[in-house]
Amino acid sequence: MKTDPDVIVIGAGAGGPVVAKELGELGIHVLVLDAGPWYGNEKWPEPNKSRGKAKESSDPSDLDGFLYRKQLTRLENDMNDLVSGKFRWGAADRRRGPWYRNIPDQAILWQSAGIGGSTLHYYSNSPRAFPEAINNEWPINYDELIPYYEKVEATLPVEFAPTTTKEALFYYGAEKVGFPLNRTLDVTSVGYRPQPNAILPPNEHLMNPDYSLEELSHMEGCTLSGHCGQGCPYGPSLEKMAKRSTTVSYVPLAMKTGNVTFRPNTFVTNVLTEFNANGNEQVVGVKIRDTWTGENEELRAKVVVMAAGCIETPRLWLNSKLPHNPWVGRGLTNHYMDMVTGTFEEETLMNILGSTSTNPFVGHTSAARMDYPGLGMIETIGESPGLSAQQLFGFSQYGYNSLRQSDSDMWDQRGRLVGNELEQAMQGYGRTLTLSAITDDEVLYRNGVELDPHIKDEHGAVPFVHYSPSKKSKERREKLIEIATNILQQAGAKKVHRADLPPNYFIHLHSTMRMGFVVDTSCEAYQVDRLYIADNSVDYNALGGPNPTLTTQALATRTAKLLANKYF
Amino acid sequence: MQATFQALTDALVPESEQHGYGPHIGSADMGVHEYIIYGLNHYISIQQQLDRCIIPLAYPTAIMLDVAAIQLVNAQQAQPSSQSLFPKGRMFSYLSRKDRVRTLSVLENLNLDLYLLPSPYKNNSGLVKHVVDVLNRFSLFGYYSEWPAYGTTRLFPPDYRRLEFFPLCWQQVGYPGVSLGYRDFRGFLLKMRRSEG
Repeated sequence: MKTDPDVIVIGAGAGGPVVAKELGELGIHVLVLDAGPWYGNEKWPEPNKSRGKAKESSDPSDLDGFLYRKQLTRLENDMNDLVSGKFRWGAADRRRGPWYRNIPDQAILWQSAGIGGSTLHYYSNSPRAFPEAINNEWPINYDELIPYYEKVEATLPVEFAPTTTKEALFYYGAEKVGFPLNRTLDVTSVGYRPQPNAILPPNEHLMNPDYSLEELSHMEGCTLSGHCGQGCPYGPSLEKMAKRSTTVSYVPLAMKTGNVTFRPNTFVTNVLTEFNANGNEQVVGVKIRDTWTGENEELRAKVVVMAAGCIETPRLWLNSKLPHNPWVGRGLTNHYMDMVTGTFEEETLMNILGSTSTNPFVGHTSAARMDYPGLGMIETIGESPGLSAQQLFGFSQYGYNSLRQSDSDMWDQRGRLVGNELEQAMQGYGRTLTLSAITDDEVLYRNGVELDPHIKDEHGAVPFVHYSPSKKSKERREKLIEIATNILQQAGAKKVHRADLPPNYFIHLHSTMRMGFVVDTSCEAYQVDRLYIADNSVDYNALGGPNPTLTTQALATRTAKLLANKYF
Repeated sequence: MQATFQALTDALVPESEQHGYGPHIGSADMGVHEYIIYGLNHYISIQQQLDRCIIPLAYPTAIMLDVAAIQLVNAQQAQPSSQSLFPKGRMFSYLSRKDRVRTLSVLENLNLDLYLLPSPYKNNSGLVKHVVDVLNRFSLFGYYSEWPAYGTTRLFPPDYRRLEFFPLCWQQVGYPGVSLGYRDFRGFLLKMRRSEG
């Protein structure tokens, strides 16, 4: 007879598999549910074409690196298309449309369903939060997080990114401006440094022509292929793939405990609760829907952990009619981002780098950063041509460069480019350096996720998402983009383009179920016993600007420990 | 409808006669207008009573562009040519490239009578802004990604498409495509302390 798991985890993205692995190691039985497909598991040889013979998998020998490599084609349209890509917010069956979120503005909301969640496409950037953004702000201290940061950094593992041509150019510009190198993981002052990335260091033979790139791609270590955003299936086996999405790191580790089962293609539509003897509402299980067959089922457990992300976790709370809390879904932050692209002349590059191009598609997609406590951060981005064109030249709150007279002499071009100016900009693609300004934006009650009162999908009312930055966040972004522009100019850029991205650009989402408002310091819901949260939504704020994933994974490690101590 | 989207991509993406994609691709934009139509027709799916159904957005979007173009012409902000530049096109495709971009801008800034737009855009400013932005992003991503190189299979369900040639845009911008790796390692600026032992 099949027994109920001790713990159900909703979502196998950045946080869920961490909780599962930690609990599994303590002998606690965990079932992790995810709405999307599973790439690299023999039980789903064609995960987008058919539902497969099995419902779930718990045996690490099901994991298959060759399959992963075959499925992750590294083609940007096949992998990253927001409507039909393999990494999208939608069902495994790509003939169907994505799951709808109503965002009534110019918007990109970049999340991925599937085992691995948005770590499937993330760039693996794993910096810690700024201590000043935690201390005296959060209900817990930075020092409390450090041992958990260290554990996650060792487990993934996290390493400082190697330098390729584009980073060398960034460091050159940052130094010319006068910024110091910041040799730390705990950032308290302004400076540049390589990204701490969850990517294995390059193989020691990468520069040795005796080893072919084909051979190297089957050996351990990053090959600098630049396919971070497309998943990166390079390595000797699934669990040794260079880019450490949770699907190749924490998921295999969780399965190896013998106590964790993962079930893809399963959308949780309700969290089920009852009143216990103390008169408190407590969680008893979840209601699920199979995304291939539409079958509904109820699953029971002693504890439920929501790790569905900053949109779906509050949506699920609201659709489950869990107790009213005015902060559920509220306080959304997204690092109010912008991008500037410098295009360089061959001669300039030759003099600085000994190369006539930057080749932005080489190396870690985002490998170097400038930390700026008080404002946020700046990081390098080197995406493939389609994604670059879309984000840099096709997505802007400024409108069309050709229709407006520039009111600033900082940027040669601003906003969307069309026709010949677009062609010219893309002709320079191989000689560009793009910097992203990522703002420490303020938590505002008005920003967040609600249920759309008029639109439902098969999982209930759809999320209605809205965000507009505060005055202070706007000022910070302006300062950051000017600093980024200055770095490009000092490095010798001939031309600088500013994207002026719209506010509703969601790559880093946080703080929609904030600690101290919706969950307590152990990340258990104040109003529902035995219900925990382990995703970016518990963040009290936007961490000062650094990428959120590592902090979520550190918190998830801590939550698992506290949860186990309390209930097992 | 086809003509309206051809007119759209013609205004946004580079002129591409020189791509010479050959007769099986045909149109000057490498078929990217068809990518946009597919994307719009799969963009929103919702539950209506017992059915999960798609809200096909391509047709109302084409009408929205034509209605907006008519408003521009009536307000004498745009001058239509004497005939459509694309077969069977309506007002949007009568406009110059610049006026087509201006039409998008007017829509995005909501500087027109939203009551005259077709459902689901009628008096729905959020959706208008959202989808007009989508038109820009889809055009650029369709054009500069590998999508055109799916050739005769490009409108197949995603898992049945096959690359038929190397994407010409990638060749043009100097992107080598799928890569096993690059020998461009210039060392480490920092190492994690624990790895230094």
